[in-house]
Amino acid sequence: MDIIAELAMDTSNPAVFVNAELLGRYVGRKVRAVIQVIRNDGTAVIGKSTDEKQMIVKGLPPSQLTTFVEVIGIADGQNSISADKWTNFGDNFDTFTYNKLCQLANGEYQHLFL
Amino acid sequence: MPVSLTPGAIAAIRGGDVDAKPLVQVVDVELIGRSAQERYRLLLSDAASSQHAMLATQLNGLVRSGRVRKGSVVQLIDYICSTVQNRRIIVVLNMETIIPDCEMIGNPKMYPETDTVAQKVPPNINSGNAQRFNNDNINGRNPVQNAQNFQSSVQPPHQANNMQNMQSFQPAVQPPYQPPPNYRNRGPIMKNEAPARIIPIAALNPYQGRWAIKARVTAKGDLRRYNNARGDGKVFSFDLLDSDGGEIRVTCFNAVVDRFYDIIEVGKVYLISKGSLKPAQKNFNHLKNEWEIFLEATSTVDVCPEEDASIPQQQFSFRPISDIETAENNSILDVIGVVVSVNPSVPILRKNGMETQRRILNLKDGSGRTVELTLWGDFCNREGQKLQEMIDSGFFPVLAVKAGKVSDFSGKSIGTISSTQLFINPDIPEACSLRSWFDFGGKDAASLSISREIMPGGSKNEIRKTVSQIKEEGLGRSDKPDWITVKATVSFIKTDTFCYTACPLMIGDRQCNKKVMRLGNTRWLCDRCNQEFEECDYRYLLQVQIQDHTGLTWVTAFQESGEEILGFSAKELFMLKEQDDERFAETVRSKLFYQFLFRLKIKEETYGDEQRVKITVVKADKANYSSESQYMLDLISKVSR
Repeated sequence: MDIIAELAMDTSNPAVFVNAELLGRYVGRKVRAVIQVIRNDGTAVIGKSTDEKQMIVKGLPPSQLTTFVEVIGIADGQNSISADKWTNFGDNFDTFTYNKLCQLANGEYQHLFL
Repeated sequence: MPVSLTPGAIAAIRGGDVDAKPLVQVVDVELIGRSAQERYRLLLSDAASSQHAMLATQLNGLVRSGRVRKGSVVQLIDYICSTVQNRRIIVVLNMETIIPDCEMIGNPKMYPETDTVAQKVPPNINSGNAQRFNNDNINGRNPVQNAQNFQSSVQPPHQANNMQNMQSFQPAVQPPYQPPPNYRNRGPIMKNEAPARIIPIAALNPYQGRWAIKARVTAKGDLRRYNNARGDGKVFSFDLLDSDGGEIRVTCFNAVVDRFYDIIEVGKVYLISKGSLKPAQKNFNHLKNEWEIFLEATSTVDVCPEEDASIPQQQFSFRPISDIETAENNSILDVIGVVVSVNPSVPILRKNGMETQRRILNLKDGSGRTVELTLWGDFCNREGQKLQEMIDSGFFPVLAVKAGKVSDFSGKSIGTISSTQLFINPDIPEACSLRSWFDFGGKDAASLSISREIMPGGSKNEIRKTVSQIKEEGLGRSDKPDWITVKATVSFIKTDTFCYTACPLMIGDRQCNKKVMRLGNTRWLCDRCNQEFEECDYRYLLQVQIQDHTGLTWVTAFQESGEEILGFSAKELFMLKEQDDERFAETVRSKLFYQFLFRLKIKEETYGDEQRVKITVVKADKANYSSESQYMLDLISKVSR
């Protein structure tokens, strides 16, 4: 017999889905973005956003980075994020769909997202 | 009266004049519904006399649409008059409505029936108008001018509206009136022994008096013997084609068969006369003619030795293969295409226990579609064998099919029937253009097959539905199965019987796959192949429950889709179950809750008294998240508008 444990989701500080264009709106707020890694120099990663613009992610990237990475952190500029969470998303990623998601999540369907 | 009918027209027609093209008025229209055929009988008048005339069925539309109705003034273009049982019967084959609606002209009296063929024209002058009309025409050679004079001289005020119509209308040629020949001094009419004139096949009908047709035999059926309540008999039929493109089937029974069977040869031209006309049997006769000729003891069939180039060898009405996709099941049609593949003959057991041969080949044409053609019986050994040899030697012949039957068993395909004819590389323009199309690129052109169970083309003709829509929209209830795509998750797999023991032997290019029976403990028997063997094959027959956000349903998955869902072959799983039941259960459980794009075939079937909707998984594809997302994005954009 399974015991169903209720996992409470922490909704106190949601991260907004952003691309380069939307990042500017949320400076100082917690954001999340998927970027394509262009260059990694140990302290920051230069990446390409899902809307094809340059983004800088500061922080401590993990040792192994796949082509696509999701970063969660505070937006600290028009095109930079100070990340504290890095997740490898592999080498195949549909950036077009993710970009659409960012637009919908910040547009007419904003109310569906925390 | 704004228009004048051809005076004496009725008498002229009765007298045998069928070239005058007179103007007459329809006094009455009657529907004669003796058989399933709709036939109209008109009462035609020339203002003085009236006579019944039968309307050829090809003109029925004129009555139905109201172009010809009571009061219509019409011009008879093509018509005949024959004697049937001592009465003169007029049949109208072609006519034109001059004035759809007109007041009754004159006061016509029904023509008295006598035995003699010709009559003197008795003008029945009762009304004042008719009188005036007749007076004007007494010396008349030019009724056209008279009509015009008439119009200008007589202008009855209540006819003003009709006048309007008259001014703008140009009457069709109204030939000069010629009085009918006067036979009063002759004796009783002798039977006319002169040869009947040749008429087009399209004009044949049961009311026709004496007729003769000259036509080429396009098909000769087999001699068939039968046995019914009335005893034994034999019958054979052949099809005719004349220079106007008319076609008709001719049938002979018993003694008549002996007279004509050896004379009739395909391709030769014959002069045929004195047969009886009866309604065609649409089940067997697929020619475009409502009648069929039955030859009798008195019929004559004379071969024409000189070649008649005006009569084509064959008549086809080809449809492009793409049309077959939407053609009705069991409909008969002609098709032409390049043979791109031929499969070997396989013996097939028919429902009546008889064995026959079957061959499948594929035809391709310029419409971007390929269709399967199934040859049955002798076609396999004759044309089928020849086509096989041609394909084997690297040549792709053109094949024309006359009277193939559309089947919707798996996709749409064509099959041969007894009256089908196959022509390899026929000498017709369609074949030549197909040949050049194929040789200059058509061979490699992309082509969709309309005959496979799995309809390729993917997203192009995919219909996406949710599980609940299957029930809501009553899918599968029409004659044809519904093919849809559903994105759903496997929520349960029935494990008590998930596969069956199948026959591994090959029949032609396909595996038999029939369920086999156990013999003793070690051997299996297949009753289709009639063979025993040690090892049988195991094939999936899965009952799976699938679910999406709208609901759940049970579906059946066969071998290929079963393997997709479970990831193991049926044999492997069967062995596993025998050895370790628990591990088996776990393995199956581990395959649950995976999402697939299921291509489903839905059809309602009758099980005893019940109607049950049967859903089969034709294909189970792991969802491609990228394209799925695109699909959903598209849906989202449609929602918000």
